[in-house]
Amino acid sequence: MSKLTLNGRTVCFAEGETLLDIASRQGLEIPTLCHDPRLEPAGACRSCLVEVDGERLMTPACARVAQAGMVVMTENERIDRHRQTLMALYMTDHPHEREVSEVGSPDLLLDMAAEFDAPMDWGWMEPMRGDREDRNPYVDFNPDTCIACARCVRYCEEVEGVSAITLAGRGSHTTISTVEEKSLLDTTCELCGGCIDVCPTGAMNEKLPLMRGQKPERELVKVRSTCNFCGVGCQFDLNVDLEGRDGKGQIVKVTSPPPGTTTNDGNLCVKGRFAYDFVHHNDRLTQPLVRGEDGVLYPTTWEDALERAAEGLLGVVERHGADALGFVSSSRCTMEENFLVQKMARALFRANHVHQCAAT
Amino acid sequence: MAGLVETFGAGAMTNSIGEIRDADFLFVIGSNTSEAHPIIAMEMKRAVRKGATLVVADPRAIWMTSIAKKHLQLNPGTDVWLLNAMAHVIVAEDLINREFIENQTENFKQVKEAVASYTPEKAEQITGISADDIRWTARQYATTEKAGIYYTLGITEHAHGTDNVYALANLVLMTGHLGKPSTGMNPLRGQNNVQGANDAGATPMFFPGYQRVDDPEVRVKYEKSWGVPLSPVPGLNLNEMMKTVGEQMRGFFVMGEDIVLSEPNVLELEKGLNNVDFIVMQDAFMNETARFADVILPAAVFAEKEGTFTNSERRIQRVRKAVEPPGEALPDWEILVMLANKMGANWSYKDPAEVYAEMVKDVPQFAGISHEKLEKIDAGEEGIAGLQWPCPDADHPGTKFLHEDGILRGKGLFMPVHYIPPAELPDEDYGLFLSTGRTLYHYNAATQTRRESGLDAKQSEAFVELHPSDARKRGVHHGDMVEVTTRRGSVQLRAILSRQVRPGCIWMPLHFAEARANVLTNDVGDAVTGTAEYKVCAAEVRLVESMPDNEAFFPGSYYYEKGPGLHVDD
Ligand code: SF4
Ligand code: SF4
Ligand code: FES
Repeated sequence: MSKLTLNGRTVCFAEGETLLDIASRQGLEIPTLCHDPRLEPAGACRSCLVEVDGERLMTPACARVAQAGMVVMTENERIDRHRQTLMALYMTDHPHEREVSEVGSPDLLLDMAAEFDAPMDWGWMEPMRGDREDRNPYVDFNPDTCIACARCVRYCEEVEGVSAITLAGRGSHTTISTVEEKSLLDTTCELCGGCIDVCPTGAMNEKLPLMRGQKPERELVKVRSTCNFCGVGCQFDLNVDLEGRDGKGQIVKVTSPPPGTTTNDGNLCVKGRFAYDFVHHNDRLTQPLVRGEDGVLYPTTWEDALERAAEGLLGVVERHGADALGFVSSSRCTMEENFLVQKMARALFRANHVHQCAAT
Repeated sequence: MAGLVETFGAGAMTNSIGEIRDADFLFVIGSNTSEAHPIIAMEMKRAVRKGATLVVADPRAIWMTSIAKKHLQLNPGTDVWLLNAMAHVIVAEDLINREFIENQTENFKQVKEAVASYTPEKAEQITGISADDIRWTARQYATTEKAGIYYTLGITEHAHGTDNVYALANLVLMTGHLGKPSTGMNPLRGQNNVQGANDAGATPMFFPGYQRVDDPEVRVKYEKSWGVPLSPVPGLNLNEMMKTVGEQMRGFFVMGEDIVLSEPNVLELEKGLNNVDFIVMQDAFMNETARFADVILPAAVFAEKEGTFTNSERRIQRVRKAVEPPGEALPDWEILVMLANKMGANWSYKDPAEVYAEMVKDVPQFAGISHEKLEKIDAGEEGIAGLQWPCPDADHPGTKFLHEDGILRGKGLFMPVHYIPPAELPDEDYGLFLSTGRTLYHYNAATQTRRESGLDAKQSEAFVELHPSDARKRGVHHGDMVEVTTRRGSVQLRAILSRQVRPGCIWMPLHFAEARANVLTNDVGDAVTGTAEYKVCAAEVRLVESMPDNEAFFPGSYYYEKGPGLHVDD
């Protein structure tokens, strides 16, 4: 274990750790925008600069690998001044109003500017990043709030592994595009939505909530749950508008937990991130139904439906024995529900004919 | 997962998803990982970026083959040949782990004898993979310390699926790739809670926790626990139930599944269902099974209830209620309690936490898990959310990889297996090999995903992949409407000319109701698990209607024209 001095205290670190890794472990907060623990450091946004003794220039904590004996400061006047200046510069072509910049996902740049009390009056240039039409159903890109930190591009390449999006243009025209400006639908994009999730300024957004005029993410309540599609069991946050559906709550979007805290490491696939519309779909069954003498299904009360169901199942057993009754349980349902179904088959009917679909 | 319970003593991924990134050798067989388990694929991509060697064995070229060191494009259904030949090489070249075999396993001699005749040269003729590639793969696997095996339905959805699992387990046991991080044998589960449903005992052979129903001690324990006499006779598995529908089986309770859309050889099944006395169906949506149901109970979906799912790596995680169900729909567990009580039970569970507590009480491996503890872990700062079984007591931190202190079964059991050709092979009338599978954009019967406008935009239509050379012989062009026929039925859908499939093979996704793959598939079941042979059967393709010139057809499969990875000329 090597040692270095961090804000006056001696701390140990493992080989290969960055200054940011060490500082975070010590509970020190260093602002970051382009950093993501799943990605190779890029050192692009300059928000994480810290001071190393004996070096004239400040250095990005996210990219700088620690060396034994380093003396590092993460807080002092010079660093404060740098942060203020940096934010003030960002603010010269970044919308200042939340209503404009934060239509969906949060804009951390605005938070940071406020936190460091950055001057907002260093002039204004109309943002010049190019936009492109895209008929893809899920990912919206707003060039005006993009800071070209390339976190989305790097995520797409390094984690998703498909390199569907790229940086295009130069200088203040730099923007996020695709090869030949195609729609994401016609690229290698797998619609994982990771680019939305990693974007620090909300430039990448979910399209549907925007089109539907739903509340921005900050006004939603997050409920941590488990994806109901495949066997990976990704953890995600259902973002709920509590006032939606007449107070029954409406899922507006799905977001990832922070990387490193769940088995999916903050990643989701297209189904987990986007396929939640079925929850509130009009086709949902909302009433118990029983088949009438005429062969048609009629709505009825719970009491009646349960009565009929019980009678029917018991009737089968009476006529043909318990061996004639099969219980099909579901891998879509919870552990608890599966437990109850098998207990029902076994304890009530003394038979073991219980299984689920696709027992693979 | 009966195969794994048999050989190792636990039917689940031996290792954790998070360990994949540190593996040095990944053997992926019968798993279209990037489409069926995208998150696992991300971990594999991460490992490959760090220098790991990936080998994919699959009849079809898939995304993963594009980053693989080798793609073993084997003839469908010849997995046992490939795996036995690999075992042959490992034995012949003395790459076995003697110490491990001696101390931790039994029955090695039988396997050694069984694989003696499976030479790589003969395997080449049957599998279509060169003897050199088989040797190379076997050596790499045997000599790399962190070498893991990953497989899914591609391996188990065969009439001989359990044999495939045994053949893989033999490789693991003879090399001792077990009980360590980033190695092991890892079945990737298709549906979110298959692991959990099996763990919870929704299987004809086992009480919760894989405790056999025909084990007298276990039965007595549950008879005491539940206060009623129980049956010692294993029940019918789903495949068997479906085959005796209308005969032995006269009534059904079906929760959360569409048997008519998902079970194979559905035309026969529908005939049987007409002779059933009574069906209760409990679901969130209308489905094809509803046509036969007498009572339909409206259920809540995952976002509307509390509970737990268990994922492929044995991790129990919380499902939390975020919104209220629509109308009068109720969580399945509440409905089950009410229904049981109507049928004479006296259940008084007040919430899923209480149900969970009752379950773990009789399962030593789960005994330390509770909703309460999961809440605590999830609220904490340290570590990954959830808890992996075995977790025998409340202070236990859960188990990242299995068999660390010796194989759970006591001794790992070698099981000799022999190749049996698929139940149905192409012949004069049905000249093609049909396999079915999943795509990234839809999920099983797609009752959920097809209600999603975006996923539908990406992949809106059923399609069948056909190799250009086979297409030419049949006068079929890209985008044409074709009819796929098997001995059981036929469906019409669009053809994609694709080099993802080998010549002589066709492939179609199983998600589309208008072209139900299960009209075509064979219901011959695996002798042990009853899992039906969804994967391979003989089929023929015929042109129905050419695609009009002005129409375009984009199936949402980016690689369809060329196929990823190696491009072979037809
Ligand atoms: S959605 Fe995923 S695959 Fe598509 S561009 Fe964004 S990160 Fe890349
Ligand atoms: S988000 Fe995707 S990968 Fe994760 S559990 Fe859901 S379906 Fe599986
Ligand atoms: S976070 Fe370090 S430079 Fe962006």
